[in-house]
Amino acid sequence: MQKIEAIIQPSKLDAVKEALLEQGVQGMTILEARGHGRQKGHTETYRGREYSVDLLPKIKIEMVVADDAAEAIITAISAAARSGKIGDGKIFVSRVDTAIRIRNDERGDVAL
Amino acid sequence: MSTKHTESLRDFYQQGLDAIRARFEEHQSTRAAGLEAVQARAKLADELVQKLWARFSNDPKLKTGVALLAVGGYGRGQLFPYSDLDLLYLLDGSRSELELKDSIRKINQEIWDCGIRASPSNRLISECSSLIPGNPEFTLSLMDHRFLAGDRKLYDKLAEQTLPKLLASEHRTLIARLVEITLERHNKYANTLFHLEPNIKDCPGGLRDVHVCGWLTTLYTIAAHAQKHARPAPGNLTEFQHATEFLSTVRCFLHYSHGRDDNTLYWHSQDSAAAAGLALGHTGNRKIDASVWMRSFFRNARTIHRRTMQLLEEAPRVKGSTLYEQIRRRHKRVQAEGFHIEHGRIIFDTPASAKNDPANDPDIVLDLFETIARHGCKLSSEAEDRLEPALPLLAANLEEGPALWNHFRNILNAPYAGEALRAMHALGILELIVPEFLGIDALVIRDAYHRYTVDEHTFVLIDTLHALRNPVETLPTGRPNLLLEWQRRFGGLLADLPHPELLYLSALMHDTGKGRDTPDHSKESARMAKNLFSRMEFDPYESGIVKHLIVNHLAMSNALRRDIFDMETLRVFAEQVETPEQLRMLALLTYADISAVHPDALTPWKAENLWNLYIAASNYLDRTVDDDRVKSRASSELIARVTTLSPASSKEIRAYLQGFPQRYLRTRTPEQVFSHFEMSQKLPPAAEDPEKAEPEARAVELALNHALPVSELTLVARDRSRLFATMAGGLAAWGMDIVNADAFSNGAGIVVDSFHFIDRFRTLEMNPTERTRFLKSMKDALTGVESIEVLLATRTRNGKRRTPKVVVETQISFDHDASSHSTLLQVVAQDVPGLLRAIAVTVADHECNIEVALIDTEGEMAIDGFYITRHGFKLDATRANQLREALIVAIARNEL
Repeated sequence: MQKIEAIIQPSKLDAVKEALLEQGVQGMTILEARGHGRQKGHTETYRGREYSVDLLPKIKIEMVVADDAAEAIITAISAAARSGKIGDGKIFVSRVDTAIRIRNDERGDVAL
Repeated sequence: MSTKHTESLRDFYQQGLDAIRARFEEHQSTRAAGLEAVQARAKLADELVQKLWARFSNDPKLKTGVALLAVGGYGRGQLFPYSDLDLLYLLDGSRSELELKDSIRKINQEIWDCGIRASPSNRLISECSSLIPGNPEFTLSLMDHRFLAGDRKLYDKLAEQTLPKLLASEHRTLIARLVEITLERHNKYANTLFHLEPNIKDCPGGLRDVHVCGWLTTLYTIAAHAQKHARPAPGNLTEFQHATEFLSTVRCFLHYSHGRDDNTLYWHSQDSAAAAGLALGHTGNRKIDASVWMRSFFRNARTIHRRTMQLLEEAPRVKGSTLYEQIRRRHKRVQAEGFHIEHGRIIFDTPASAKNDPANDPDIVLDLFETIARHGCKLSSEAEDRLEPALPLLAANLEEGPALWNHFRNILNAPYAGEALRAMHALGILELIVPEFLGIDALVIRDAYHRYTVDEHTFVLIDTLHALRNPVETLPTGRPNLLLEWQRRFGGLLADLPHPELLYLSALMHDTGKGRDTPDHSKESARMAKNLFSRMEFDPYESGIVKHLIVNHLAMSNALRRDIFDMETLRVFAEQVETPEQLRMLALLTYADISAVHPDALTPWKAENLWNLYIAASNYLDRTVDDDRVKSRASSELIARVTTLSPASSKEIRAYLQGFPQRYLRTRTPEQVFSHFEMSQKLPPAAEDPEKAEPEARAVELALNHALPVSELTLVARDRSRLFATMAGGLAAWGMDIVNADAFSNGAGIVVDSFHFIDRFRTLEMNPTERTRFLKSMKDALTGVESIEVLLATRTRNGKRRTPKVVVETQISFDHDASSHSTLLQVVAQDVPGLLRAIAVTVADHECNIEVALIDTEGEMAIDGFYITRHGFKLDATRANQLREALIVAIARNEL
């Protein structure tokens, strides 16, 4: 199984969630995040004060999926989150040893 | 006891339980089904226990000196399906507990073997005669007691002597302890009855509160008797009794469906309760939606919670108890006409039987709620009991119009507005003033996000807005306030609002449309608000602001779902909000609206995004003002509103409006714009060289609107240099403190400059005749009849320059891209008299013309924006630097 972490623009959250549902992804974790890559922040001046927006608002979505489903899910996230502009975000994939369902101690893919 | 006999008793008991359950399930749609079931179960348990006791009657140890009592819920004659039997073996002490241990154990064993879960305990009667240190709860539980079996005389001694004596001597301690544990319990549930899956026993407004009401009523009666006076009889408790019946039925239902003593109204339980039409009365074949059923639930819980809080409020204050601070804010006695505040509660001055009952006087009643809104006090039970029956009289005598709005505005603007509105709503008085609110009474939006009913959400929203004025570093829970920085920033916006009552009114009305079956509740709410506007006789400016805010109250939340740093998002959003004042109010409404969905809904992340969107939109509005101009041929609702005032002059009005920034139209009422048009029609024809024309040819029109605390002076004139500087100088000479101003010009060279100012020395207020002199003096300066420098020299009353509390560094910036044909000059500096003139004169000295001016102050900071051109073009870098240097010198010189 693989863990997929996607950092996306907040405005793309609804589209990505829908795409994941279409791929049959039942569970995911969504976190409010801040960050930047090549898309730097900026400074806004308001009534004589400067407000720096160095770290831009982002959404991080995390999920663990079966190996055979991973590629399709990654493709779906990419397509839904893409606008073509700098700041679209990134997807990270890592290996997961196992998963356990706390309620009934199910383990492995069946716990996903 | 023989096993056969035990089995027979168990069967008897089980059959009885089955019959009770069957009857409950058959009648569970009736409100009282639960109470009937729990009373029947208690009776059944009584029968069984008494039969069992009878079986042990030959035991000599049990013949005397031992009485078996029902206490707790069982003592009240109520036994819920999976509740334990609370039994007390009362002993007279003639035999030791050790001697009786075996006999008691056998009875308990039999009770268990019959399938009853019992919680037995033993106590000597002497132990019941005093409070057990650290455990007054035992005495509280003893307050509900019933004789079951055994030594009757021993029980009678407890019931008629021991316990009454104890309660008479210790009632104060018991009241204090009961209030403490109740408030602790409420605290555990965040002091709200609104939970997505409420615990109907322990939550505020739950069945535990019903017990608390019973205990407190008993203890208060004992206290009154000890002070040798009678406690007034409580008012109509029918609603409270009905609510108790409702919750009892729900609890029975939950026990049966969970199969255990679990009192949580889970999501699926709500669905099941709705499907069964639980406790709603006969619904026929109509299917009830879970949100409709939950609406009934919250109404009933609210009734119980209200009564509980009233009774808690009556408790005498205990020194050193911080929990009491939650229910008490004022101890100062406050007197008003018809009523006074005592120990944080409002009490009417005269008895109900008096000839002119103040409870029947709408003015006194509205004053009363204003007092609640100002001080955060509560109504006494007696006051509430008098207000409820007075409703029809109040409805008949309630005046509409500005007088009503005056009262209502005072309530909305006061710091505890939410509490006053809740009290008004509970009594039905809010609905007399705002009938539109009835549709959202206890209305449930059933999803995982909306914690509160729609009416409570509205009150929480208003509480949130008021709380922005005084953000705290640590929350009442002891945790740090993670939103502190954002509350301070948004609180700053609130402090600057000229009409905060319009924001609060918009908040009150914004979701009323949810009570109607409509796809767009925002539009429906705005439509419903129209009736309120006509009842309160709002002018078009006020009603326009409120309507616009209600219709667009979701605009900012929607924009947050898009890329808030994208210019197109900003453009679309800014077009919706139109003006900086609307933007400010919308930002505040959005902040509070999100906060009031759920306690955790507004995260620092969301607050920051909201703030960033706000400042980006604010800057967008200011930067586009010069380019966004009126095209008179365009069909526009704003233009139409002006031309309808004088259709015969429609062509001339359109010509007048041509070329003004849209901002001019959006920030004035149609009547104001029309008035400026009429002033422009009185101007002399344009001179060939305005700078050299005679005074008559330079005539201007001035309009003064004197009001407290802020007056307005508007100039309409043909554009020429230094008009703005002269206006600013003239006002400074007369000692006026300019709060904000704007200056616009149209395509035909007509300027409209409006200055809002505070009359620092109250010259115009104290001497109405001076107003004519003031206007003449300003006109003479503007037409060149009198030199502004001479006026400044002879009239300037600087008064004592106060030392600023906050030192503001001067900042000057130029933006050459904000407009297609002007340079945007922005100046931030210490707000001192003469500043605006110093800036305007310096700009004029550098041969620059002010196309648009947007002047504002925030505390001690002046924030001035000017769209300027030099000979019709933007400034180049060199000229901009020269102007910057000159401004720095002029501002510094003015400050000295």
